[in-house]
Amino acid sequence: MLQYVKVNIDGAIIRAIRGTSVLHTALEYGICIPHLCHVPYLSDIGACRLCIVEHMVNGHSNVTTSCTLNVEEGMVIMTNTDKIRKLRRNLAELLVAQAPNSRAIQDIAVRCGVKEVRYPFRNGDCVLCGRCVRACNELWRAKAKGFVGRGKERHVDYPFGARPDFCKQCGACIQLCPMTIPPCDGPMKPGEERLCGQCESQLMTNEQAPGGCVWCKLGEGFGCGRYVGSRAR
Amino acid sequence: MSRLNSTRELEHLREQLREQRRNITTTVMVCGGTGCQASRSQTVIDAVRDELSRQGLDTKVRLCVTGCHGFCEQGPVIIIEPGNIFYCHVTPEDAFEIVYQTVMRGEVIERLLYTDPVSGEKIKTESEIPFYRAQDRQILSQNLMVDPCSIEDYIVGGGYSALTRALNGMAPDKIIKEIKASGLRGRGGGGFPTGHKWSECKEAPGDEKYVICNADEGDPGAYMDRCVLEGNPHLILEGMMIGAWAVGSRKGYIYVRNEYPLAVEHSRIAVKQARELGLLGDNILGSSFSFDVDIARGGGAFVCGESTALMASVEGKVGEPRAKDVHTVIDGLYHKPTVLNNVETWANIPGIILKGSSWFTSKGTRGSKGTKILALTGHIKNTGLVEVAMGMPIHQVVFDIGGGAVNGNPIKAVQIGGPSGGCLPLDKFDLPIDFDVLSEAGSMVGSGGMVVMDGRTCMVDVAKYFLTFLQDESCGKCVPCRLGIDRMLEIITEITEGRGKPEQLDLLEELADTVSQTALCGLGKTAPNPVLTTLRYFRAEYEAHINEKKCPAGVCKALITYWIDPDKCTGCGVCVQGCVYEAITGGKKQVHVIDTQLCQKCGICQSECKFDAVQTVWKERHQDVAICQS
Repeated sequence: MLQYVKVNIDGAIIRAIRGTSVLHTALEYGICIPHLCHVPYLSDIGACRLCIVEHMVNGHSNVTTSCTLNVEEGMVIMTNTDKIRKLRRNLAELLVAQAPNSRAIQDIAVRCGVKEVRYPFRNGDCVLCGRCVRACNELWRAKAKGFVGRGKERHVDYPFGARPDFCKQCGACIQLCPMTIPPCDGPMKPGEERLCGQCESQLMTNEQAPGGCVWCKLGEGFGCGRYVGSRAR
Repeated sequence: MSRLNSTRELEHLREQLREQRRNITTTVMVCGGTGCQASRSQTVIDAVRDELSRQGLDTKVRLCVTGCHGFCEQGPVIIIEPGNIFYCHVTPEDAFEIVYQTVMRGEVIERLLYTDPVSGEKIKTESEIPFYRAQDRQILSQNLMVDPCSIEDYIVGGGYSALTRALNGMAPDKIIKEIKASGLRGRGGGGFPTGHKWSECKEAPGDEKYVICNADEGDPGAYMDRCVLEGNPHLILEGMMIGAWAVGSRKGYIYVRNEYPLAVEHSRIAVKQARELGLLGDNILGSSFSFDVDIARGGGAFVCGESTALMASVEGKVGEPRAKDVHTVIDGLYHKPTVLNNVETWANIPGIILKGSSWFTSKGTRGSKGTKILALTGHIKNTGLVEVAMGMPIHQVVFDIGGGAVNGNPIKAVQIGGPSGGCLPLDKFDLPIDFDVLSEAGSMVGSGGMVVMDGRTCMVDVAKYFLTFLQDESCGKCVPCRLGIDRMLEIITEITEGRGKPEQLDLLEELADTVSQTALCGLGKTAPNPVLTTLRYFRAEYEAHINEKKCPAGVCKALITYWIDPDKCTGCGVCVQGCVYEAITGGKKQVHVIDTQLCQKCGICQSECKFDAVQTVWKERHQDVAICQS
């Protein structure tokens, strides 16, 4: 039998299923917490850190990722304070500077309020969110790819660098990859990277409701409740 | 030796061993720690042993190959009891003299005594040496009397009596209460109260629980865990047994890095010996308590010192941290409640049980009790391992024990707590070694690494060094640690190469704050500390690099030029021979000149020059000088 607990997210008292994460509960309820590495049916690793929230414990606020934090009775969570917005913006800035060639990441940057990128662009093609690795290992139990190396050298690869027989080329990894959604004007060449997402419609939504929905491509592709809801309507 | 089935049998064995050793008149303690082994102490040990058997003193004199004494730079070190005579820099050729004069006749060999670098006097005994005198060696002193490969030595010295005391008449709750009362805090860096950790683990649901000893020490220049584990492994085992009894665990692991071969070997021997005596295994000393320990070897990843990464590594997975929203005392190794403590924390346990928590609380400050081992290195006269009572001011450690600056350059800063610690300037040297005070000042006690830096150190360069280390050692799992450290390093590299812009300092500060607040594990959370503290206390140096393109300490290669002062140069030609790039010209007895086009700024000429003629100057000044000369 499902057990329920009451949690307070941004002042809303929400009845949540015990054992689910704060991120899941908030998204179900319609509170958007930006996230990248979280996929509903995969385990959460807390790699992108975008879904950080403030968790109030005994009057102290702990900054922690909501995807790895499970709901508990009487929990007080704040998802959109000034402190969180600033930290989230800095993280999104790091991500977009690393991999500007993805509309999903560009949208996240807009959603998190990135107005300028203060680091040189790098045009990387992977942000190590681990979606592909987890889908391959957990969903299909194929274990055809994993992380290799440490720190700066960390990358996703097949075992020993060659595609193994047990990879069935199901394409789940490609489907989940945020880097497969190109920017509106097509991929940017090295040296020409910029912060896009400055187009009128998105900017308006963002300016009017800071921290609100920008109809991000990531949400569209991966069944964000808002897209599903709007289609139903 | 046969298995011990009760406490009485252990006491009987202790008496027997003491009886056997009654006729030993003299003990020669030679340091066999890794530090002294590097100074070839094994040859000294062999020579002394040969000499003793040649003189027929095998039965009367005990040769004890001990663990580290702490004063590694003076190694190989020999201490002779009775008399507490301390010899340093001993060579195999000295063995005859030591045995013939000191062991047989009790005469002191003047030549081998330690010379105090401050006063220049020869010092006869260990306890009179200023380096040791100001210390409070509760754990390290136990290294001296014990051969780490001999359980007999440990038992003769009163070993495993804390265990028998705990097993007979101390219920687990009473032990935890005692540890809580002692105020012992984790020595690995976090400073979490050990008693609380244990009681949380004891309360946690589940029958299967684990205790782990964290000996994955990776801070550059720090080696106190290695020294304790390789010098006195039975002390750690005894501490772990008491901990396991208190929390209700039956299985323990010692996670030790494979780069510490001696520590791995000694802990393996210790576990084997303890099993033979029935001190590990089922029904220890006839009680209902069963416990066993395995050695898990680490591959030398710095991040595996983090608790969750360490547990993943023990399980055979990739050593990566995971989110700790549920603490490891509830969901740890194999998802079972686990107590993980540092080597030094475990080493403190037997003492607390034996002497009581009031003995432990008599040392230290209000929030930090007991003693702490520090690895003192850098630009000071005496380097090595020092153990001091918590609350000792930094200046006392640096100047009284460390002996002050080594090259006459005034001391500028001290970096405490390893790569994640912070740099404190000279005017903060009156701060005590205390968990709370140091973290308030932006640094931390950490594992206890203490690097003293003098005026020739560039603080921007120091921050760059630690960031490079942490970038290499970050696991790369989370964004702030992987990309944040990388970007911080990028900015600092630009600053040291003279391409920095004033607004970058604010960006650096903001980024450092973001990383420290959002990173996944302790490595990332503390990684910006070197940047934050140097920015806080040495902002002027950053500004000099950015605004004036100067490195005040003359370290950052892109901002300096080597130049030979014609007034000081004697034309000896040493620098000409030393320069591998053939950038120095000048005949004998003539003033030498460095060709700046060819110079690669390696600094060899500066270190070779006996007349202090080679100097570093800032780029513009060098141009001025060149114009004046022409």
